[in-house]
Amino acid sequence: MTDVSSLSGSTRDMGAQLFRARAHSVEVEARPRAEISHKPRNFNPPLPKHYYFYLMAPAIAILAFISLYPFFWLIIMSLQDVTIGGGEWVGLKNYTKLFTDARFLEGWVLLAKYSIMCLGLQVGLGVTLAVVVNSSRYEKYLVTALLMPMMMAPAVAGLLWLFLYNGTFGWYHWLLQSAGILDSASILAGSNTAMYAIVLVDVWQWTPLITIIALAGLKRVPRDQLEANMVDGASPLRNFFAIILPNLYPVLLIAVLLRFMDNFRFIDSLLVLTGGGPGSATKILPVYLFEVAFKFFKLGRGAAIALTLLLVTILLGKLLVRVFEKPQGGKG
Amino acid sequence: MASRDVVSYDTPLSRVLRILASLFLALYLVWTLLPFVVMFVSSFKDMLEAFKLPAVGDWAGITVFFEFTPTFKHYTSLFTENSFGTYILNSLIAAGGSALISVVFGSLAAYSLSRVDFKGKQDLFFWIISTRMAPVVAVMVPLYAIFRSLDLVGTLPGLILAYTTFNLPFAIWMLKGFFDNVPYAIEEAQMVDGATRFEAFRAILPLVAPGIGAFIVLCVLFAWNDFLFAAIIGSGGAKTLPVATRELVQPQNIQWGSIMAAGVVTTAPMMLLGLVIRKYLVAGLTMGAVKE
Repeated sequence: MTDVSSLSGSTRDMGAQLFRARAHSVEVEARPRAEISHKPRNFNPPLPKHYYFYLMAPAIAILAFISLYPFFWLIIMSLQDVTIGGGEWVGLKNYTKLFTDARFLEGWVLLAKYSIMCLGLQVGLGVTLAVVVNSSRYEKYLVTALLMPMMMAPAVAGLLWLFLYNGTFGWYHWLLQSAGILDSASILAGSNTAMYAIVLVDVWQWTPLITIIALAGLKRVPRDQLEANMVDGASPLRNFFAIILPNLYPVLLIAVLLRFMDNFRFIDSLLVLTGGGPGSATKILPVYLFEVAFKFFKLGRGAAIALTLLLVTILLGKLLVRVFEKPQGGKG
Repeated sequence: MASRDVVSYDTPLSRVLRILASLFLALYLVWTLLPFVVMFVSSFKDMLEAFKLPAVGDWAGITVFFEFTPTFKHYTSLFTENSFGTYILNSLIAAGGSALISVVFGSLAAYSLSRVDFKGKQDLFFWIISTRMAPVVAVMVPLYAIFRSLDLVGTLPGLILAYTTFNLPFAIWMLKGFFDNVPYAIEEAQMVDGATRFEAFRAILPLVAPGIGAFIVLCVLFAWNDFLFAAIIGSGGAKTLPVATRELVQPQNIQWGSIMAAGVVTTAPMMLLGLVIRKYLVAGLTMGAVKE
């Protein structure tokens, strides 16, 4: 309080008075709050905890049987040479082999390549689409139309695109050829074009997911910031990059993580379209795993690959849950 | 509070942007909806008509697409030469069964997880949700081995259990959010009025019932559209629609007409269901991260 003492007498008095008044009011305000903090007598206490555990038990038991138990099995299998009759312990052989398995390493590289291409296109297209749809009068109908591809079974989508890509009677092949982008070579037979083809199918089916997520984010962009920026003479483009995009960032992160994990999870359309071919040009890791485990029935080796895949997914999942819990994440 | 109408002047730039936006929207809609049109129309075409294409670069020849006499033979052959009736039933039982199991047990677990706090709850919750995020192929490796030893491979109960691996955690995760939104005070008020604990729980059910119904539908949707589990776990005795459709692709003879018809049969019900639960669809597809 050295400052107060240096002031002239009258101001010091006033200061002291003010201080006293404030202290008083704090005291007055504090009193009822303290009384309220007495808990009211609980006439009907909540259930004892163990009843809640009884309610949880069936679900936990089912999950334990279909997810925890298999997980331990997976670890055991990865240490074995599994055949139809049973298993034979081989130690870490399944793992050490992976380091020299070119297909395995290539599978990761292709998975990364595939995911980056899918996500790049989906986020670019999806956000643009969301901005356009958001300013449209027919938003409701447009969103309904956009949801349609996501309702289709991915395997059926794969078959449909197999038809569209066909070299002799596929309409998309004809379209691309007529536009001068392609020659007459079949799309799915070329190793480069096959990769683009499966990426396009994923983009077709799942860009709308990014769009609806971004659309929900756009609704939360503060209007006053936009107005202030426009009053300052910003162009619509500048508005987009300076205000809308930074505000969208948290929801986009969720969208990207969700899609990224789905690229690990689902290979239905890919299996139908190329099955990993031509050669191994589209053999992303989950497809390679599918081949090892369910075509050649090397379940032990498959288990080792599956564990590496699971590990990465769990790390991604941790990240996702952390993003979910942030308030901007839009939960609740 | 900001005013609703922003004064924006029509500059040449914004006019160009608006035209570009409409163009982009139109092109995107064509790209999204065209495959559906092709699937639908081709399912009514005879083999030779379906394969008709104009010459390369002959843009005026596009009208060939609409030159055909509609036939229902692909649809009837699905049910006569193939047994799609059985496959539809399999799909319904597998998807519906797992949806019911998931939502019944899932809602009980979600309710208690929402109302009680204990040590390690977050870890339990993460474990539950991580089972939903696991890659299907990775899950299937041990599941296949276990199910084979229990003779569950190729049976509908096996397939129902397999679908429950991703539907049950999904139901718990989504429905917990639902119960979190219902204030505990409602139940408390009921109990003060003399209701028992169970009656209080019943009192909030009408509040969550529409959501629970919607999540049954979403679980059906995920299971119905699955291909991998059905192809491996259900192979043989429990063939579902996507697998049956895939099997129409034979090395020597791809029956495109039937494939397109089967695609329509598989997709149409899910589209209708999607429209029915439109309100919950976005939340369901984003695992609750986004609500409209």
